[in-house]
Amino acid sequence: MKPIHLSFVLLGIATVSQAQQQPGTPVATVIAVPPLTSPDSGSKGNQMLATGWDATQLIVSDLRQTPELMPLSPNRDDYYSYPEVTAPTFSKWRSAGAKALLTGFVQGRSDGRLTVGCYVYDLDKGRELARKGFVVSPNDWRRAAHKCSGLAYQAVAGAPGVFDTRIAYVAENGVGDGRTRRIAIMDSDGYNHRYVTSGNAMVLTPRLSPKAAQVAYVSFADGDPQVRVLDIGSGQDRPLIANAAITFAPRYSPDGSKIAFSMMQGANSDIYVVGSGSGVPQRLTTSPGVDTDPSFSPDGSRIVFESDRGGSQQLYVMNADGSGERRISFGGGWYASPVWSPDGEWIAFTRRGQDGRRIGIVKTDGTGERMLTTGPGDEGPSWGASSREILFQRVGAGGRTGLYRVGLDGSPPRQITIPQDGSDPDWSGVMD
Amino acid sequence: MRKTLLFALMAVSAGSASAQLPFLSKRGPVQPVVQGIDALRADFAAQSGGTTVYFGAETVGLAAPARTVLAAQAAWLRRHPEVVVRVEGYGDSDDTRDHALAVGARRAEEARSYLVLLGVPAAQLSTTTWGKERPGLGRSVTVLVRAS
Repeated sequence: MKPIHLSFVLLGIATVSQAQQQPGTPVATVIAVPPLTSPDSGSKGNQMLATGWDATQLIVSDLRQTPELMPLSPNRDDYYSYPEVTAPTFSKWRSAGAKALLTGFVQGRSDGRLTVGCYVYDLDKGRELARKGFVVSPNDWRRAAHKCSGLAYQAVAGAPGVFDTRIAYVAENGVGDGRTRRIAIMDSDGYNHRYVTSGNAMVLTPRLSPKAAQVAYVSFADGDPQVRVLDIGSGQDRPLIANAAITFAPRYSPDGSKIAFSMMQGANSDIYVVGSGSGVPQRLTTSPGVDTDPSFSPDGSRIVFESDRGGSQQLYVMNADGSGERRISFGGGWYASPVWSPDGEWIAFTRRGQDGRRIGIVKTDGTGERMLTTGPGDEGPSWGASSREILFQRVGAGGRTGLYRVGLDGSPPRQITIPQDGSDPDWSGVMD
Repeated sequence: MRKTLLFALMAVSAGSASAQLPFLSKRGPVQPVVQGIDALRADFAAQSGGTTVYFGAETVGLAAPARTVLAAQAAWLRRHPEVVVRVEGYGDSDDTRDHALAVGARRAEEARSYLVLLGVPAAQLSTTTWGKERPGLGRSVTVLVRAS
């Protein structure tokens, strides 16, 4: 998708004053989202207004999913003219109880594509917070709407939204040895769901590249579990390491240039890193025992991983070259599958103990540990781009596996709707 | 269809063995009789006291019962140098996915090393792990006779 600069004064993104809340404060910023308008007239104008209405409803649905924003229900009668996109009647929305306002338009281009423009305002201060425009094919109007949702979320909540992102997971069908597992990829709202592996071989742990162009995953196609890399657009699929032994637990670096993973050498599992295109693997850990599940810090300078070198699985942080290892988990029980948050503040993990497997978070220095789920069959956390939500896998009663998302705000986990059982979810960053 | 054919082959070889080749039942060192893979697997399991050895929770060390079975397996494998096996390790079902994969691989390696220690040529053995992906078995290593 091609973002464009709107031909008005471009202001930097500021933050609505109401959004300066303490974490856990259950006060959401009310935002008005009247239907997007259009500069076009005639039948084309009607077409653009219809798309604008669809986009408006999707934006409202996106924002309603967040704890930070509360959109007013859009009313089709709240139509405004094209000039009012950049000169809205603040008092109208202020008296409706809103603190923020999103306006925008859909314009048909001569090449058949659409320009979607979005503007976010602080109603109390009566000023613009952010604006952005996107040129998309008519079929991609959903992505443009998700981008508008992200603009509003960033302006009000101060973090990237999870709306224009993708989720990869393992789709599971059937029972017992006849159970098939395929990698599935979908938009974060469940649209564009598709399977990208055939189901002939068992697959595990898909991990999307930062912009969701590739997925690294573990396949048993050659007998041993081995990391493979699939280019989602072209369908090209290759082993990460040629003729490798057992490799698993892949994870992209934040810039997508490298993949960290685990490799077995006899009874020893160590962490390696290799270029995501090609290259010679570089060994980062040397301790006997199981070192696995590496995850980069957002600046790529450090890696968190799990190791049972001390007798039980614990979390360790090291520099990206393998130096300076130190343990950061001390809460009791076993700690596994750490993942660094996109904002760098937290590490999500699976903790295993008497009460089963649960998802929690801890500061990168090992302080501030907090459990987010009650288990007992939870594992595999993956951060949303906002760093305020985590996707994970839960094995429910009866052995059915499902995908859930949980916020850091203390609200209970919500199950995500997928066409069949699912495991090993992975959430991409915001796409271009 | 395949099973029927195999059954027929076994019946023929059993019939001919009792009629003309009684020494076969004493298990000579080299048996020229062609056996199907399923028959080989059945013989391996019967002579070894099982194909699977079990581990304690969170451990990769071999307990005495596991060593007994592996010793019998090693003896059988030394008698069948033409047979290759895959040593498949399983993790604990309540473990996390990737750690379970690694633990399965460690258990497989532990069993493989013990078989080598007991004189099985390494070329007859390969290892892999199923982690916790086949939850029915759990905390075990299965030695699977493979078509060579």
